[in-house]
Amino acid sequence: MEIFHLVLRNLLARPVRSLLTLLGVLIATSSMVLFLSFGEGLRRSLFQELSRVGPAIQVVPEGTEGLGFGAYPEITPAQLQALEEAGRALGVRALVPTLFLSRGGFDPQTSFFFQGLPPGVGPDLLYPGVRAKEGLLVPKAEGAVVGGKVAKRSQLALESPLRLSPQVTLRVEGILEESGGLADNLIFVPLEALQRVLGTQNFSAVLVALSPGQRAEEVARNLEKAVPGLKAQTTGDVMRFAERALRISDLVRFGISLVALIVGGLLVANTVMMSVYERTREFGVMRALGARRGFIFRLVVLEALFLALLGGTLGLALGGMVSYAINLYTFSQVGLALSAITLRLAFFALLVALSLGLFAGLLPAYNASRIPVVEALGRV
Amino acid sequence: MLRAENLTKRYRQGEKEVVALAGFTYAFPLGATAVVGPSGSGKTTLLNLLAGFDLPSEGGVFLEETPLHRLPEDARAEVRLKRMGFVFQQWNLIPTLTAWENVAFPLLLAGIPPKTRRERALELLERVGLEARASHLPSRLSGGEQQRVALARALALDPPILFADEPTGNLDAESREQVASLLFEAGRERTLILVTHDLELAARAERILHLKGGKLVWEEVSKVS
Ligand SMILES: Nc1ncnc2c1ncn2[C@@H]1O[C@H](COP(=O)(O)OP(=O)(O)O)[C@@H](O)[C@H]1O
Ligand SMILES: [Mg+2]
Repeated sequence: MEIFHLVLRNLLARPVRSLLTLLGVLIATSSMVLFLSFGEGLRRSLFQELSRVGPAIQVVPEGTEGLGFGAYPEITPAQLQALEEAGRALGVRALVPTLFLSRGGFDPQTSFFFQGLPPGVGPDLLYPGVRAKEGLLVPKAEGAVVGGKVAKRSQLALESPLRLSPQVTLRVEGILEESGGLADNLIFVPLEALQRVLGTQNFSAVLVALSPGQRAEEVARNLEKAVPGLKAQTTGDVMRFAERALRISDLVRFGISLVALIVGGLLVANTVMMSVYERTREFGVMRALGARRGFIFRLVVLEALFLALLGGTLGLALGGMVSYAINLYTFSQVGLALSAITLRLAFFALLVALSLGLFAGLLPAYNASRIPVVEALGRV
Repeated sequence: MLRAENLTKRYRQGEKEVVALAGFTYAFPLGATAVVGPSGSGKTTLLNLLAGFDLPSEGGVFLEETPLHRLPEDARAEVRLKRMGFVFQQWNLIPTLTAWENVAFPLLLAGIPPKTRRERALELLERVGLEARASHLPSRLSGGEQQRVALARALALDPPILFADEPTGNLDAESREQVASLLFEAGRERTLILVTHDLELAARAERILHLKGGKLVWEEVSKVS
């Protein structure tokens, strides 16, 4: 029968109320955990992908962030030429113009993502470690090399036709092994074919591979200086941008879940306040028997902390299970685990639950410990 | 030894001032002292002041030579824990704790290790004849049994001073006798201060203090010794 034992006894003496409070905290925490887990999942997949992206620098039109799928290609042949000259002067290893095109709707099941490559360049240059499972690795003029996941999902085999537009139809010439990277979800086609589809001579981005010993940041700044209107982002830039965007969306999602958290906190506060009110006389007896005020204070705070922490832990577990279920679904659909409960998210959730309990418990605990003994004893 | 010196307590009630206790002076010797008097005569007020639940408007309470009324709240609590025991009429036991856990509660406050607490609590329950009820909650005990548990709890840390406020007030004749004899037995080698309006019970004490209007009007030495 330690002080914690007293707390348990008291909570068990009013099982329904304690259970309802617990449930409130559980729901609040699990919804917060889930909300935040999407950010963590996104962050994790994004950085996994980015760290697999080969080229150290991506040159994109100013105003674009990320790789610019879906945006109209804006880099002109003249700009490419200027870039190539500047690149030669700087001694970079290779410059690869590329084009992105997505076809399909919002449903990732039926969407296709094409990346155009100049003649003779294979996907292995951009995505190191990529290998052909069947057929060719480098597409020929009217051919396409399909990422492992796309092939499986859309049941593409060698020789399958791929209709990009009424005028342009390509044949599958190669299928890649699944590598777990971005390439799994892409279809690599000749740049020229995509340009024909879009009716343009432009490019979406130019990828720059560095020679050994070159510093990405420095080369990027020099390329920008050489060709106005273009932005050279390093992988670090992309990560920083993504991190910033994710952080903002984290805040938004935390803001939404704050509503649930506040309700959970009020529930705990209500339970503890009622319990304190009902037990005024009991606390009076304890004080009369020789309990210090700090003992009563601890008793009440512990009650709130226990409710909040147990609710928080169960909420974390529930959030984990739902997150797992969501991942099973999204993985089967797009090959990405959307939700992740990272160690830091778990810690954060428990910390939030703990502060919830503390805030809900401090005031009632303070009040309970300050009631004069005679007054506490007098109340029936 | 517990000593009250010019102990005075005034309550404000709106404009009016009520003098609940007026210049009470007395040194409580070893053995049982009963405090009697009509309702409103200041008995509960006296007890609240002696136990340090409340502070006097004037005068003081001294334990040996320590002025209790000058100690801060937590220090008074410490004195109550280590030096005083309480058996009061309206005081319930802690309802969520079993009989033995109630008895062990002061031992918990005093920081005594769990195993010793349990052993000591069971011993005390045996002394009041309730060892068989050790694991029962207060709600499953009769009034007399609850009072005996409360007495065992009061004796847990073997305090030199024992307070009782109407300890037999709500009990039937048989339980009353049982509780009273246990109480006086425990009070023999302690300072027992017993507040009651039951004159039969008071007559078993060695001294009887008569209060009236907050004043000590008469000290009577009991015929029974
Ligand atoms: N908290 C209080 N506020 C105002 N008056 C009080 C308070 N407590 C006691 N009194 C008054 O003090 C007097 C003595 O009360 P009390 O000590 O309870 O007497 P007893 O216990 O002998 O019945 C009574 O007139 C009572 O009304
Ligand atoms: Mg009274």
